Amino acid sequence: MSADPLQALASAGKGENTRSLLRFIILALIAGAAIASRLFSVIRFESIIHEFDPWFNFRATKYLVANGFYNFWDWFDDRTWHPLGRVTGGTLYPGLMVTSGIIYHALRALAIPVDIRNICVLLAPAFSGLTAIAAYLLTNEMTPNSSAGLLAALFMGIAPGYISRSVAGSYDNEAIAIFLLVFTFYLWIKALKQGSMLWGALCALFYGYMVASWGGYAFITCLLPLHAFVLICMGRYSTRLYVSYTTWYALGTLASMQIPFVGFLPVKTSEHMPALGIFGFLQLLAFLDYIRSAIPGRQFQTFLWLFAGGTFGLGLLGLVLATSAGVIAPWGGRFYSLWDTSYAKIHIPIIASVSEHQPTAWPAFFFDLNMLIWLFPVGVYLCFQELADEHVFIVVYALFGSYFAGVMVRLMLTLTPVVCVAAAIAVSTLLDTYLSAKSPSPPPAHAADGGEGAGKKAAKAGLKSTTKPVVGIYGLWGKGMMVGAMAVYLLLFVLHCTWVTSNAYSSPSVVLASKMPDGSQHIIDDYREAYQWLRQNTREDAKIMSWWDYGYQIGGMADRPTLVDNNTWNNTHIATVGKAMSSSEEVSYPIMRQHEVDYVLVVFGGLLGYSGDDINKFLWMVRIAEGIWPDEVSERAFFTPRGEYRVDGEATDAMKNSLMYKMSYYNYNNLFPPGQAMDRMRNARLPEVGPTLSTIEEAFTSENWIIRIYKVKDLDNLGRDHMSAAAFDRGSKKKKAAKKRGPRQLRVD
Amino acid sequence: MRSFFSLLACLFVAAVSALSTSGNRLLVVLDDVAEKVNYSKFLADLESRGFQLSFETPKSESLALFRLGERAYDHIAFFPSKSKGLGPNLTPNILVDFLNANGNILVTLSSGVATPTSLVSLLNELDIQLPVDRTGLVVDHFSYDASSAAETHDVILLPPPGPVRPDVKDFFSAGAAASEILAFPRGVGAALGASELLTPVLRAPSTAYSYNPKEQAEVVDDLFAAGSQLSLVSTSQARNSARFTLVGSAEMLQDKWFDAEVTTADGQTAKTFNREFAKRVSGWTFNEIGVLRVNWIEHHLDEAGAANESSPSIYRIKNDVKYTISLSEYSWTHWTPFTTPAADTLQLEFSMLSPFHRLALNPDPAQSTGDAAAYTAAFKLPDQHGIFNFKVNYRRPLLSNVEEKTTVSVRHMAHDEWPRSFVISGAWPWIGGVGVTVAGWLGFVALWMYSAPVKGRAAAGKKTQ
Repeated sequence: MSADPLQALASAGKGENTRSLLRFIILALIAGAAIASRLFSVIRFESIIHEFDPWFNFRATKYLVANGFYNFWDWFDDRTWHPLGRVTGGTLYPGLMVTSGIIYHALRALAIPVDIRNICVLLAPAFSGLTAIAAYLLTNEMTPNSSAGLLAALFMGIAPGYISRSVAGSYDNEAIAIFLLVFTFYLWIKALKQGSMLWGALCALFYGYMVASWGGYAFITCLLPLHAFVLICMGRYSTRLYVSYTTWYALGTLASMQIPFVGFLPVKTSEHMPALGIFGFLQLLAFLDYIRSAIPGRQFQTFLWLFAGGTFGLGLLGLVLATSAGVIAPWGGRFYSLWDTSYAKIHIPIIASVSEHQPTAWPAFFFDLNMLIWLFPVGVYLCFQELADEHVFIVVYALFGSYFAGVMVRLMLTLTPVVCVAAAIAVSTLLDTYLSAKSPSPPPAHAADGGEGAGKKAAKAGLKSTTKPVVGIYGLWGKGMMVGAMAVYLLLFVLHCTWVTSNAYSSPSVVLASKMPDGSQHIIDDYREAYQWLRQNTREDAKIMSWWDYGYQIGGMADRPTLVDNNTWNNTHIATVGKAMSSSEEVSYPIMRQHEVDYVLVVFGGLLGYSGDDINKFLWMVRIAEGIWPDEVSERAFFTPRGEYRVDGEATDAMKNSLMYKMSYYNYNNLFPPGQAMDRMRNARLPEVGPTLSTIEEAFTSENWIIRIYKVKDLDNLGRDHMSAAAFDRGSKKKKAAKKRGPRQLRVD
Repeated sequence: MRSFFSLLACLFVAAVSALSTSGNRLLVVLDDVAEKVNYSKFLADLESRGFQLSFETPKSESLALFRLGERAYDHIAFFPSKSKGLGPNLTPNILVDFLNANGNILVTLSSGVATPTSLVSLLNELDIQLPVDRTGLVVDHFSYDASSAAETHDVILLPPPGPVRPDVKDFFSAGAAASEILAFPRGVGAALGASELLTPVLRAPSTAYSYNPKEQAEVVDDLFAAGSQLSLVSTSQARNSARFTLVGSAEMLQDKWFDAEVTTADGQTAKTFNREFAKRVSGWTFNEIGVLRVNWIEHHLDEAGAANESSPSIYRIKNDVKYTISLSEYSWTHWTPFTTPAADTLQLEFSMLSPFHRLALNPDPAQSTGDAAAYTAAFKLPDQHGIFNFKVNYRRPLLSNVEEKTTVSVRHMAHDEWPRSFVISGAWPWIGGVGVTVAGWLGFVALWMYSAPVKGRAAAGKKTQ
């Protein structure tokens, strides 16, 4: 015994219990790796909430923790969208905040006081561990081979396509939604396979959680009916399908309607109609099934045709009538932009202006999924080989996921799970095939048996197998090469994932990092500097006007009311801000007065060469404003006659007079020797005389000039207009000559 | 001991500054301090009303309106000065800063002396125009003082001026005897622009006109202004309620015109009203009359059974709300309840971007006291959530501005504030439907369970039979 420890080890791995233990340990390690690889940002920078939307979620979570659930549910937020306010409790997906709140209170109940910020920062990594386990479960439903499940868990854990939205600090809805998506799919497959009401109800429960967490729930709402529909078309209607679908739909829809933001949408909007339609269709099928068992075959044929035709006609008519009468809302803009990628650009600039709504570039697929993207079709092909109900699901999911991922960058996220599952099936099949050390026995008499033993595919493979039954690679070196190559690919995949995570997806974007000439890291912290200034130097209810991108950050970091923010629910209000930014001071000032604006914040990247600044976003402001006030704002006016977008001396008058331009370049000349002011972002030499401001005054400029804050002046104390008051302050004398000309205006009291 | 001293100091300060609402440090700018004897009665009146007078000449080195960023004086009175400008300490920018810092300015002009450029450009900023070349003389060939200016017709006699509009309080002629008359000797008239901050107090008679005695001695071809467009005493109140008064004739404040006898063109003699008028004009300028004070503002839920929190920061849509504002008006020595002129009302706006309500505030005697009047309005909030302002924006000529903005949020209905479904009669069919479905299902289950097929037993029975 002791002489052969290797054999002892090998035999130890064969027992079922040992395998379970090993699987458990491996899964735990994968979950650990998934969490660990998302911590780059915390280690490099600090435990900080990233980007834009997470700041709102963080603020909402703090409100929830401080005020309790019911106050959160009825939360009227008077510090955003001034002066309209926002019915925040009724217009958000509360799942994320409630999850963090529950964790917070649970930890406190266990006498582990953890700062709510740390819970929020680390929620996404924690859930990514769960996602890996959910991917394991889902894959296990596809193949009896649990190594595929473990591979899927590993891929899911470290695929950059998912990491992009779930690094520590990326406290967004997607952080928990992807776990819920995968887990709901797992439960659906489970319910479908067993025809179980219990699993169907569980599926509905997690579907409800998903609806509470992310607007992407519509993906499930459309994918499950589609799966059911495909199954029916394949002639695979069964009571299992009926039970699982009906249970899921009835309970899931009720659950989803409990979220105030969703409300009656599931019975009102077109996006939810497929689910309802399939639900009705299944009832009909069940009814027909019953009829078929009750009446003779020929009569049933006639009955079937009449019935099917009549129902379809009635259903279609009903849908058309209901849509034209306005009972069912027509498809939304985001939906249209899924089919026509230029739709949003023409009709809804506010949707098109978001970078994550742009179509995906090809390299992004490789960047986010690496080798999985070429293993993915293999896995789908392998699913076709077996094509049980659950494999149909993977095929359908793969088709739709790929299409949508091609249309919108951010839908790469919904594609990633199916890619991981399919790729895991492919890799595990490959490895299983080549890792088995057995060779078929040499005698040709037993070839057929050996062929079956080596793999069913070889037996089925057509002509060659009949003439030469034992086809395949049985040489150890050949197998070794295949396995070795695969192992190298897997290692390279891990390297790629780690590299992408560390370099591309771990920047908080609130803090910018740059390299000094000597290679040391230099942190550019202008955002927080400016927000801190606002927090410490302005009244608590000072209203800040900025472009909507910064609304959530101002609300979260500076704690000041804003006019518009990243929740773009009111296009007109955003267009108002766009108009104020793109018009001259005389036009902007009354708008700012009316909205009680105290400070205006602009982001300027000219000094540092920072590309995400407001001048680069300026055309979107103009476009959105033009959508509402086509007579007053014109995009054309911001282009030179030769069609160029310029900021230098040849910029158009509309550009030079716009508030945004003036605020960006005010006093900028003073940084440079006369006549040499350069905008390093746009490589433009600025005119020698900088813009002058009269209705607002500079209040703060951050260290690298990234953020500039201006204070809106009050009405002039002596009743003059701001231009002449500013001229008087500068010391220039009022021109009397103008007064003398023409008849005097008589004063009437 | 220390607290006693500070209490004493407080009392002292209160006693001294009780007379003007914004301090008693008055700077008098004269070309020559010796000139003050001409105005001794006027200045003595001011001193008797509690002002501490400091006299300076424009060129004085020690003159500074601001010390360490704070106003060094509360009020300034300018008497005619022969200097062309007023020196580096009284530039128009400094004077504008003084007004912006809530200081009050009284400027007097004289037709014999060219107005300093500094004051001319200050007047320009206030939209008040003086005759060209900074000199002018107002004459009237119909209402002049026959005893002192029988030839030159440049001492104009006017009745004390009444209110400029019917909804404006009468500050300057109230209580004047019908026989009393105002003398305006050798003054400069100004033309007022269209600014809404300006109010003419004393306008020239319709037969008066202004000309330049130096250039147009022979023939008057280019009139500067005539009739009521010529303002002899004008006031301007800035948005921060800083007051500015332009008196066209410094001479009318001199001792010789106080209580003098004048003869009108038709030969009647009368006593001048100048002394009382000077008191009222200076009193208005230096915040002794026409100053409004908001004592307190309160709003609360006006619903039966509601928690009666005072001035909450948030309401719900369609709440009934009551708003009350308490106002006092200062009258020379004490605060009195402010009552709006008969033709005028105080209004409350409830606005978000634009007013949703504009309501008259009615006097509320129950909450009024001896020195404060309360005005109140009760109304139902609009069916629109948002951040609203209770706004009282009361700007009237000669009264200091009242601009009060109280911000409240109006929230939507909370989830548990709607009527329950069984209260709504329209929901009864649906509630009934739910009940019927439940009952029907239970009935069906019962039926199903108790009508289990008896086949087996029947078969067994048959067999046994």
